[in-house]
Amino acid sequence: MEIEFTDTEFMICNAARLLEDNRTIFVGWGIPQVVAILAEKLYAPNIVQVFEFGAIGPLSRTPFLRGTMGGPSNTYRSLQWCSMNLAFSYAQAGYIDYGMLGAAQIDRYGNINSTMIGDDYEKPKVRFPGSGGGNEVASYCWKTIIVMAHEKRRFVERCDFITSPGHVIDGKTREELGLPAETGPYRVITSMGMFGFDEKTGELKLLGVMKGFTVEEVLEEMAIEPLVAEKVVELEPPTELELKTLREDIDPYGLIISKGRKIKMEV
Amino acid sequence: MEKLEVLDKGKAEIHFTPPDEFRKFVRDRKNRAFEDKLMDEGEAVKKFVKNGDYLAYDFSSLTRGPQSLIREIIRQRIRNLWILAKFTLLESVLLAGAGCVDKIDVGFLGFGPYIAKKVQEGAVKVYDWSNGSVTYRLVAGAMGIPFIPARDLLGTDTLKHSGAVVVKDPFSNQPVALMPALNPDVAVIHVQEADIYGNARVYGPTVATLETAMASKRVIISAERIVETIEFREHPNWTTIPYYCVDAVVHAPFGSYPGGTQGYYEMDSEHYLKLTSIRTDEEMQSYLEEYIYSVDSHDEFLEKKIGISRLKELIQKSQILEGYR
Repeated sequence: MEIEFTDTEFMICNAARLLEDNRTIFVGWGIPQVVAILAEKLYAPNIVQVFEFGAIGPLSRTPFLRGTMGGPSNTYRSLQWCSMNLAFSYAQAGYIDYGMLGAAQIDRYGNINSTMIGDDYEKPKVRFPGSGGGNEVASYCWKTIIVMAHEKRRFVERCDFITSPGHVIDGKTREELGLPAETGPYRVITSMGMFGFDEKTGELKLLGVMKGFTVEEVLEEMAIEPLVAEKVVELEPPTELELKTLREDIDPYGLIISKGRKIKMEV
Repeated sequence: MEKLEVLDKGKAEIHFTPPDEFRKFVRDRKNRAFEDKLMDEGEAVKKFVKNGDYLAYDFSSLTRGPQSLIREIIRQRIRNLWILAKFTLLESVLLAGAGCVDKIDVGFLGFGPYIAKKVQEGAVKVYDWSNGSVTYRLVAGAMGIPFIPARDLLGTDTLKHSGAVVVKDPFSNQPVALMPALNPDVAVIHVQEADIYGNARVYGPTVATLETAMASKRVIISAERIVETIEFREHPNWTTIPYYCVDAVVHAPFGSYPGGTQGYYEMDSEHYLKLTSIRTDEEMQSYLEEYIYSVDSHDEFLEKKIGISRLKELIQKSQILEGYR
């Protein structure tokens, strides 16, 4: 049977499979929240979403709508509505297990850029919205998962601008910098593969590639050369149930999942 | 005597008020009398927003944002503002497009191509912080302390372009970031309910409603409805802002339009898309003329530019009341 899916759907499904049940997860609008909702529906029924807006444990209604992060449908039946100060303080005090972020650039140590492209901060070539709560998520959550399109130019030796911290910044480790111990980027899910980080050096390490791709093909699409795990696993494409849940229940308007390149695959 | 070691320092210019200066302002200028502060938005902005002010607004463009007050600030052609942009998709773009803003402290600036161009051209100056660090700055401003220590920004370029200072914390001996207190000159906040004195109640997530009101020298509240003071005394747990933080109360039904307000109406997606599709200065000026400059007030805006049938649709879409009453 042939299936068709977007690379966004691939990333969302693979990220959702990583999440353990009975954990808290800091999410923002877009892909991160769709991952959390998919996980809640299929794999981790007791996962607790946390929004920087100040919503803890909402039972977010679907379909997923545009621009309504703090609105009634998305913050429906929360356990608590609170301030942003409190939402971030829960994370700073260690209560939030996962954080999920997107990125325009990522570097060897998992530092991410969501601020600007170019070498002159005053005159950026491209300007993005900035940190938002991304810096806090990457600084405070126990395990941060980064979800991003796999493009050569997005993988760099050092980000043009480090918005949110990875494992090592300009030679200094997170702990030397004063960031909370034993935190940091945990996985990077891209449209071609999955990365982790070397336990000792904090360097990006290829752990898995999408079924149908070779390790060489994935590495070819990166401007840096990452470490490669001894045994690289094959990442399964979205299942029929995952796609049905995404397309019929969570995002029938295709606000998030329709983006990206379309992939056809025999399964 | 040991000295506190400074390890790193951001280079941004900061808006900073020493705590004693803020305290004296509160003592002398914040009114503790029960005075009727109800006025229209024209009078409120005229009295309390000045050229060159540091302006903060709470909550987001799409939910309970103070849009009618932002439009009034634009209508009165206030200039040289320095704004705090946290969850901003519309306000910052409109204020920049109208030439009201020089500087923006960025948490999250829903840039979009129009304002990205303004930044790239240097028409507005941005300072990069994060949503958490600017919120903690407001917390410090609200507490009356000069700074608050936190463990975000550390090591990043965001820190280098912010105004935070990293020191070795004398208790844990670890580096920690000190966020300078933020005391805005003026804050505009939209709420569901307020009384004529400024007691205000917000339903739903609050972002930094109380902190922003406490920390700001002048505070304008707009409210979907004006209620009797007894409503607050009956449910004191639900009071979000006490009256003595507030300088003006504006009755503004649909004050968040084109965003929504929980329990009242949903956002107007079509109008929102019209705004976010603005690319050129010409398109921006024509939007400002059509929806802001050509009317005298929020009431006239609703009446002539939006219309009762559209507003009715948005009320009808807002059917979730749990938690909002």
